[in-house]
Amino acid sequence: MGGIVILGTPRSGTTLLRRILDAHPNIACPPETYVLSGAARFLHEDTFSRGLRIGALTGLGYAGFSEDEVLGRLRQFAFGFLDEHAAKAGKTRWAHKTAFDAFYVERIRKICSGHVHFVCLKRHGLDVVGSLHELVDKTGGFVEELHHYVRRYPEPLVAYAHAWVDTSTAIAKLAHAEPKAMTVTYEELAADPQRVVDGILEFVGEAPDPGLLDRALTDASSVGFGDWKTYSKRKIDTTSVERWRKLPVPTQHELAEICNPTLELLGYAPVVIEDEDDEDARRRYELGLLVNRMRAAKAEGESSET
Amino acid sequence: MALTKDALLTYLQKKLRVDVSKVDDDSELFSSGLIDSFAMVDLLVFLEKQTGSKLGPEHITVENFDSVSRILSFATEHTKA
Repeated sequence: MGGIVILGTPRSGTTLLRRILDAHPNIACPPETYVLSGAARFLHEDTFSRGLRIGALTGLGYAGFSEDEVLGRLRQFAFGFLDEHAAKAGKTRWAHKTAFDAFYVERIRKICSGHVHFVCLKRHGLDVVGSLHELVDKTGGFVEELHHYVRRYPEPLVAYAHAWVDTSTAIAKLAHAEPKAMTVTYEELAADPQRVVDGILEFVGEAPDPGLLDRALTDASSVGFGDWKTYSKRKIDTTSVERWRKLPVPTQHELAEICNPTLELLGYAPVVIEDEDDEDARRRYELGLLVNRMRAAKAEGESSET
Repeated sequence: MALTKDALLTYLQKKLRVDVSKVDDDSELFSSGLIDSFAMVDLLVFLEKQTGSKLGPEHITVENFDSVSRILSFATEHTKA
């Protein structure tokens, strides 16, 4: 049956889907191993002057190893860990998910194409941006894959929005071009998990499993890298859908300008941008100050009562 | 025309993501944390547009905006004819 590779921009529900698939009796999906992004990094090549490429593929090519041979060995190396993990778990096949694989989509495709089923997750860009912002706040730093974006865009939310555009577009292109690829919408997974999971199982050639969701959210045995939030949930719900509407309106507008073309490409409605001129912005600022004063007055009133 | 309850609830639900099924006329919105400071600013911008009145510092109090009934009564008083 072959492996299953989950791809999605970080904060798109990839850990949730990993836990669901890992609960299937035939599928072992370990916490994030970074094995595919690691293999993808092996394929990194710099382009020097006049287009000369410098890296393992070209270098090994000069040593007599064809690209197919290098890719085959790399695939064998990466898949070997996953095959062994599945065997140890007593399961017949593996699935793989590491959220930051989204930054290596083209090279992961090169390694895996024709040998796996790709399950591609998409989520509304503004929700991904908000969730990435929370993640960076909590972890206190940027992973290397985001460095390029935060160097280029001084406002973090804008940087995350561009990262979402690039990774979502790369994943959508893969989903379009690969014969064994399906796209799953996070919002649909949250709203109707059983139907969506049944669809995924059918796509990868497994029978439906009515008890899968319950087992997935109660199993705490597979501890490792991934989204910690899913471990606090016993039930899949839609509380993380459309949280972007709580972002300040000017922030929504700024992000919408970046994300709207990709949102439409992915089948989401674009975020409506209402024109705000300088006077509106000043007024919003003034009201913000007054609301802060209101909040302080309320706090003072409460402390004088105690 | 004065702001209607339906229009206010729709705004709270669609724009500020307040679960209005759990909100009655006197539920505390700001004091309870149902809407935060950013959302309150959005609400005040909305109210200025709806009423046609510019809110002064003396208007921006918890008493005026902490529940659906208070917001509606403020809007009725301050809607320009």
